[in-house]
Amino acid sequence: MRVTAAGLLTGWGTGVLALPADARRAGAGRRVMTIPRPSLTGDRFRRATRECLLGVAAVEAMLAESGVGRETLRGSGTALVYVTAAAYAASNRMFIDQAAGTGTLHFPYTAPSAVPAEVAIEFGLTGPYVIMLGDARTTVHALWQGATMLRHGACERVLVLAVETFAESADLFRGARWLVRSPLVETAVAVLGTPGHDHRDAGDMGIDERELAMVGRRVGETLACAPLIALALAHDGTSETRRVRMAGT
Amino acid sequence: MGREPVAILAAGVITPVGADLESFWTSLVAGADGISSIERFPVGDLRVQRGGEIKTLPGADSRSPRGGRASRLLQAAADDLRTRFRLHVPSGRLAVVVGTALGGVEEGERALAGERVRGGAGGALYHMPAHALARHLGAHGPILTVGTACAAGATAMGVGADLLRDHRADLVIAGGYDALSRFVMRGFDALRSLTRDRVRPFDRRRSGLLLGEGAALVAMARDADAGPTRLGRLLGHSSASDGSHIAAPDPEGRGLEFALRQAMTEAQVSADEINLVSAHGTGTLLNDRIETVVLRRVLGQRALEVPVNSIKGSLGHTMGAAATLEAIMCLMAARHGMVPPTVGLEEVDPACGLDHVPGGARFHRSRVSVSTSLGFGGCNAALVLEGCP
Repeated sequence: MRVTAAGLLTGWGTGVLALPADARRAGAGRRVMTIPRPSLTGDRFRRATRECLLGVAAVEAMLAESGVGRETLRGSGTALVYVTAAAYAASNRMFIDQAAGTGTLHFPYTAPSAVPAEVAIEFGLTGPYVIMLGDARTTVHALWQGATMLRHGACERVLVLAVETFAESADLFRGARWLVRSPLVETAVAVLGTPGHDHRDAGDMGIDERELAMVGRRVGETLACAPLIALALAHDGTSETRRVRMAGT
Repeated sequence: MGREPVAILAAGVITPVGADLESFWTSLVAGADGISSIERFPVGDLRVQRGGEIKTLPGADSRSPRGGRASRLLQAAADDLRTRFRLHVPSGRLAVVVGTALGGVEEGERALAGERVRGGAGGALYHMPAHALARHLGAHGPILTVGTACAAGATAMGVGADLLRDHRADLVIAGGYDALSRFVMRGFDALRSLTRDRVRPFDRRRSGLLLGEGAALVAMARDADAGPTRLGRLLGHSSASDGSHIAAPDPEGRGLEFALRQAMTEAQVSADEINLVSAHGTGTLLNDRIETVVLRRVLGQRALEVPVNSIKGSLGHTMGAAATLEAIMCLMAARHGMVPPTVGLEEVDPACGLDHVPGGARFHRSRVSVSTSLGFGGCNAALVLEGCP
């Protein structure tokens, strides 16, 4: 699989240029680096949760960065592979906290499938569809799954998306220090893969524990997003857009 | 493009109508009704207070695993599977892939209520029950949780097959699970999706679904590595997106059609070769009509000649477990030459005209079956299975 586009939003800002060199130092004691709710307009987004909008915004950022048009994604030729460890926690909590029958959160938005659903609706994705729940290692498997679908001709391109939000559930994660490090950095990241090879392996993109640890030190705790951040960093270092941007500055 | 079939060596289940494979099958054939009043958590304020609740769960006295009741369900299904199948590969080559709609959400409810939960809020993450199952089985290969909502049990089997084909594991325990909880009962109650009547898939009077709980697992291996003793084979799988609505299925069933066609292509199976259809058949107005339209469109005339059933009238909608339970039903149907009835179906809706199996079980020799699933978020999945008579 060849990475042809990447879009990254984090609590540090938009794109890889916003990432710090050392998350702990840059965080200066803050536990959560939050991304504000994207200001997407349209009646359909009225009920959508923040994490849904982040998923859509990450894909939009990917398209803007690469110059790929929306029409390229549309249809059954694009597979959607989505991964998260915890981006449903906020909506689950909101729903649990509501008194029975008086909820304002529409129940389907509590499902992990709500984020990729909004992305699929927004960009007209009607092809192969896999949702995986878990941490960074799961995302490495998700990349393999995407590459497998490409290899076997199930799709022409694969959109791999990961979203993690923490602001609404930060207190709960305090009781799960065995699981997460600090700072918790909200992230939405999208990567577009097409058949072929880049400098990485075709299978799971050659992401190893060492690279994930590097992302952790640099960016902070991003759970399922870490492998895609690694790909976004690598893509940024090789992409035409980056070269043009560097030449222009 | 055709893909290498994958052998399904054995299965294990826990359901509202049976706590092991044999009693599950016997109950389905007998048309048992697993729906009862929910007793385990408060439902007095809800419009509908019934579901497919499992009253006695094996191991309920032991220490609660991470993931709570969801993990217990998975472990019970795994223990049932292991009564007839030995995990014969090194632990590093044993993978776990399970699908769920709700994970251990009940642990989240408990944590927010101030109760002490194993692992804190981290124990409520949806992927924790898969890890608890892996520990239970001693599996150290890939451990994956699939979240394609109520189609997840099918997607998990497809992902498991891919792990085997790519030699990322030598044995995969794949399937699905979900536990009933106040969380999900409240949610579906608020959506007015639950019926006060019984579940009536494809019936003129159908008025909604009822939820159930359970877990179902299969042991899968590469066909070439598997011996002659097996339940059957997974010939094809596809999961596809509607890109249409956050909760409702696409009105034309385009995602389901794509999944079904892709799965049949992967299986290299034509409509004429299909002998049985296990429908998602929730008993909602929209689902059953759309499923019928898609089956007619993809299978053509064959759709009217092949028995179609839904087991949700017996179990309720077991969400993440449903697709795997239905796949196992297909394999058992081939083995026993019998198709369980669609409990609750009495008067077929003309808009759902197919060769349904109302009333009692039907003697029918099947070999190749398809199973269809739909879920929140525009998730659709289809499996093509081959049974061993």
